[in-house]
Amino acid sequence: MGAVLLDGIVGGLQLGLLAMGLSLLYGLGGILNLAHGAVAVTAAIVASLVVDGVGYPIGVAAVIGVGAAALLTLAMDRTVMQAVYKQEGEHRVLLSLLLSLGVAFLVDGLLEWRYPSGALSIRIGGGPVDVFGIGMRRGSLYAAAIALVALGGMIFFLRRTTLGRAVRSIIEDEQGARLVGIDPARVRTLIFVVSGALAGLVAMTNSMSAPVDVRSGFAFTINALIVTVVGGLGSASGALLAGLLLGIVNVLSAFYIGAYVTSIILLTAAAVTILVKPSGLLGRSR
Amino acid sequence: MLDVRGLSVGYAGNDVVHGASFEVRTGEAVAIIGSNGAGKTTLLRSVCGLLAPTEGAVTFDGGEVTGTTTAELARAGMAYVPAERHLFPGMTVVENLTLGAYPGRPEQQQLDFVYELFPRLKERTAQTAGTMSGGEQQMLAVGRALMGQPRLLMLDEPTTGLAPKLAADAYRALKVLKEQGMTILVAEQQVPLALDLADRGYVLEDGRMELSGTSEELAGNDEVRRAYLGIA
Amino acid sequence: MTTTTTAPVELDATLGGSVPPWRAYLPVLLAALPLALLPLLFGDSRTYMGLATGLLVAAGYAAGFNVIFGMTGQLFLSIGALGGVGGYACAILADRIGLPVVAAILAGTLLASALGALFSWVSVRRSLDVIFTGIVTLTFSLGFENLLLGQRELTGGEDGMRVEAGQDLFIGELVPGYYAILVALIGFLVLFRFLERSHYGWAFRALKDDETTAELAGVDVARYRIHAGAIGSAMVGLTGALYALNEGRVTPTAFEFAGVDVSSLVILAFGGLGTLLAPVIGATFFALLEEFVLRDLGTLRIAVYGLILTALFLFFRDGITGLVGRLRGRNDHLGPNRPV
Repeated sequence: MGAVLLDGIVGGLQLGLLAMGLSLLYGLGGILNLAHGAVAVTAAIVASLVVDGVGYPIGVAAVIGVGAAALLTLAMDRTVMQAVYKQEGEHRVLLSLLLSLGVAFLVDGLLEWRYPSGALSIRIGGGPVDVFGIGMRRGSLYAAAIALVALGGMIFFLRRTTLGRAVRSIIEDEQGARLVGIDPARVRTLIFVVSGALAGLVAMTNSMSAPVDVRSGFAFTINALIVTVVGGLGSASGALLAGLLLGIVNVLSAFYIGAYVTSIILLTAAAVTILVKPSGLLGRSR
Repeated sequence: MLDVRGLSVGYAGNDVVHGASFEVRTGEAVAIIGSNGAGKTTLLRSVCGLLAPTEGAVTFDGGEVTGTTTAELARAGMAYVPAERHLFPGMTVVENLTLGAYPGRPEQQQLDFVYELFPRLKERTAQTAGTMSGGEQQMLAVGRALMGQPRLLMLDEPTTGLAPKLAADAYRALKVLKEQGMTILVAEQQVPLALDLADRGYVLEDGRMELSGTSEELAGNDEVRRAYLGIA
Repeated sequence: MTTTTTAPVELDATLGGSVPPWRAYLPVLLAALPLALLPLLFGDSRTYMGLATGLLVAAGYAAGFNVIFGMTGQLFLSIGALGGVGGYACAILADRIGLPVVAAILAGTLLASALGALFSWVSVRRSLDVIFTGIVTLTFSLGFENLLLGQRELTGGEDGMRVEAGQDLFIGELVPGYYAILVALIGFLVLFRFLERSHYGWAFRALKDDETTAELAGVDVARYRIHAGAIGSAMVGLTGALYALNEGRVTPTAFEFAGVDVSSLVILAFGGLGTLLAPVIGATFFALLEEFVLRDLGTLRIAVYGLILTALFLFFRDGITGLVGRLRGRNDHLGPNRPV
């Protein structure tokens, strides 16, 4: 049970990290990015290509993979998203959903076609490590450590840096942010790129437990979406909390009940959240 | 410092303000008075970049700024405090003030200055802005604008939702700022308060600048007295 | 004072009142004719008839989605699942329970319709923003898919199940089955135009334009939304049931989100969201695209779909109809055609 729980926490941390970018994007720009998973998979495939093709060590490949993810999201922001930002409110959300869906299919399709057996698997050598008396796979430990560092970095960024505060201020009141001299468009681009990098990073950490293959994109996106919704669209801490909760539920349920039912449980969690409190666990009711 | 010429602004093709011109010289306080719906808010929003004018030009500090974004103008020293204030409700007083200094880091000197001007804020540094009363929010909004060390402070109906005593307090604070050399532009329905603060004023009616003059001239003007001061 | 939800016809200044019926329904006939004649050319070819039937099925789903999303702006990302409800329910009731085929079709249709009405009702009750309706229905889609995969005994799981029921009836045959589905599709289009011209159309246009104003004008937004959800979902469910009987097999893949929902979106975007013939125009274009362009591309198809979807919503949000209308200098379509 302890090992299962620990697995859940490790998975949950990564879910939280994945969802955080998506959540911030919604809070900042009122957009929903369904290409999130495709970006993560891109990072994985690029990294695996670097390792297999060029022969760089895995660490370098991982960095390059994350960089590729960031670049892809930058390209997306500069092109497709510009049309989205011209819209307001409901139209903007809808358009972002539809366009990002298109991009997701485009990217996923290209990757699947070109690298049909592409997959990334980062194997961390060495035996299991003892954590609180429970044997933890080294890969999980590394993944958890990286996720924690990234999460810590994000929280520090948001709470303590000027730019991070600017991000939060835009989510609080975009007009107010403009009044103090903050340019929402540029901050949005920054967060978009950061969310892409985070997605890439989570692809790396996930691959330490199980291979991330070219078809994983949609699953990544749906998981991120569920966690984002439950945590509260626009709340970074909500994403983290929901990630941990759902990560634990996911593992426990899969272990004791079964895969299909687990999926249904998670999906139901998202649906129930929307029906009961659309602003999610930590989001603010508007 | 601020020169507005022939500004026409509107919504969805219908102009609400027609050919308005006015100026604010360095160090003076100027009031734009008019009743509800006269177009004061529309005019100010256009000056600070929130609305694109259909006609006319705005010059700030000698440079043409028509069409510049609000954020750029804020960084260039034009601070705007709208009637709705647009504070950051989930953030504390001190966080709101800190952000006022964006993109720079807030200087302790500036923070102290704001706290001196609005002692109530100092008592509530850790309180979230959304939980504050109207008067406190107004103080915070002005304080936040000041943190950026602006050259021009524009306020749209700062007395909105304030009881008379608090409104008077607000203007007292503005007077202090003026005495320290701040250039102020205020759009106001409460004419006596505005004219008391301002050196000069303009009367906006149905989107057109009808009158202008020193505040003494305006206060003594029969039409103004009848329409806005309730004196027959 | 009671609020009226029926606009008196003589006060209705929209095209519904000024266009004579024969002109209003003519486009349906014009679209139906080539489709009806198709089997005369290709009736012997299993491949082409299969393709044509697929076209009709896709158009059927899109027609339902057109009522739900096109007419009332409700983003149901569960069209595939609703089709699956119709298809699987019909199959299970007819084969396992032994219900007569017509009853099974009806049951499947009604079940899908009830679900659609439920989605609308929930959205309205909880005042859900469009995006939340989308996410809730999406979770239903995925949950339904998992249900199908998980309940192997009932549904056959990943491999699906054979549908025996319609096989000895006309619906199970190549050409008669095609005609059955065509009749249904024509029915959908006629119903669509009928709704447009009735007080429904007036109410739909009002609430899609500005909900608050519509409420103030006396439109019971909730009721109209729920009705639209029910009617559109009925269309989708019926299509699913007919597909099941004609195909002789139901699988989770046939009703998946990436297949049905995305194609419905693309079909309507291409054909012109909210316009009468969008389902047919869009489905035809995509059938042709599938056959002559995408067939040999393998998995690149997905990428091409993504590209088309993106391009469509970036540049041609009004779809082909809108483009043609603009080229002709006037808007020929009778429905509201707001850029999404």
